[in-house]
Amino acid sequence: MRKAMVLFASLFVATAWASESGGHGEGHEPSVPDYILHHVSDTNDFELEVPLSQPIHLGAIPPIRIGSCEPVMTDHGMVAPSGWSGLLQGCLDLSITKHTVMMWLAAVLLLGTLLIWSNRDKTKLVPRGTGANLIEMLVLFVRDEMAIKNIGKEDGPRYVPYLLTAFFFILAMNLLGLVPWMATATGNLAVTAGLAICTFVVTQAAGIRSAGLGGYLKHLTGGVHWSLWPIMIPVEILGLFTKPFALTMRLFANMLAGHIVLFFLIGLIFILGHPAVAVISVPFAFAIYLLELFVAFVQAYVFTLLSALFIGMAVATGHHHDDHGHAESDHGHGKAHA
Amino acid sequence: MAAKEPREKSDGSELGTTARQMRAAQPYINAVWKLVGGAVVGVLGGYWLDRKLGSGPWLLVGLSFLGICVGFYGFLREMARLGRRK
Repeated sequence: MRKAMVLFASLFVATAWASESGGHGEGHEPSVPDYILHHVSDTNDFELEVPLSQPIHLGAIPPIRIGSCEPVMTDHGMVAPSGWSGLLQGCLDLSITKHTVMMWLAAVLLLGTLLIWSNRDKTKLVPRGTGANLIEMLVLFVRDEMAIKNIGKEDGPRYVPYLLTAFFFILAMNLLGLVPWMATATGNLAVTAGLAICTFVVTQAAGIRSAGLGGYLKHLTGGVHWSLWPIMIPVEILGLFTKPFALTMRLFANMLAGHIVLFFLIGLIFILGHPAVAVISVPFAFAIYLLELFVAFVQAYVFTLLSALFIGMAVATGHHHDDHGHAESDHGHGKAHA
Repeated sequence: MAAKEPREKSDGSELGTTARQMRAAQPYINAVWKLVGGAVVGVLGGYWLDRKLGSGPWLLVGLSFLGICVGFYGFLREMARLGRRK
């Protein structure tokens, strides 16, 4: 075991040292933060890192842009608009990037594994095999411990399919990010924002379903006089977005931070400039890697749990609205009798 | 074909501690958000309108004051309603 650890550490240091030396050869010296940011950022340029050698360039998928996307002059020359700034100029960037490919891969892997493991002998009550039992354990955990405990046994089962999809998809993306040559799609703000928008839509639909469209819209007015609606309606609408914003930032920051810490621990060898630093930084990086494995599950769990909690709160608001309506009508009767 | 059994009404006893606590706290969180949100919407709305109309600081001052007043009103109304419910 000890020999294996030493071998692992030496290989890691040698690989990193070789990559650094390669960088010197090109006359361009990337700093440790540059290397890390390049590694965690999204791009449509694919390359394969090879231990003890230069990375192999796999090629770039041509960008797909819709709208007014003429290149504009910047400090770095003529650049085509992309991302959020491009969207503000009316250019929608739909390029297939590293993280998009990771999402597709996660979806295909999930479809494959879940279809195989869930296809059991229906004549027997108890599923057999490790995969089927593992999936059943996770599905039951999401249904009993998340959906029913946060939404309620009456409405909970209705939202289990969404919660299971979110849980397994996030888990698959988080775990793929820990495999060599892969990327963490959940370390991208756009991906986590997309997932949070899905939860937002389901939460609002749950609120409308529970309170009715009239009750939902009435809730948005904050219960104040109509002359105050121009201020109160934006306040309530702004309040709706705080929860998905928290979901977006939590998942993104946790996944990105873990990877940056991992890279910086290895980068310490180059920052301090002595191979002996590897004796400390490599075991630490290995420990953080194991922690990241745990975090992959924890973050999928937290996102699903919070989604269930928010859906439960939206459902409860509708029920409370009903109670409140009854209470007010009772109150009215009381007044009439008095 | 037998008629579908009506779904059992939940009394909330199956809910987890966090869900129960969050549901209990939600009306108070909403009330506090009204207090803060009123000021936020007033300030941001006033700033944006001032920039758009070039009306100096007046809309910012006016809408901020109005936003804070509406926020306070919404907060106090919500707290009074919660007090009545108890």
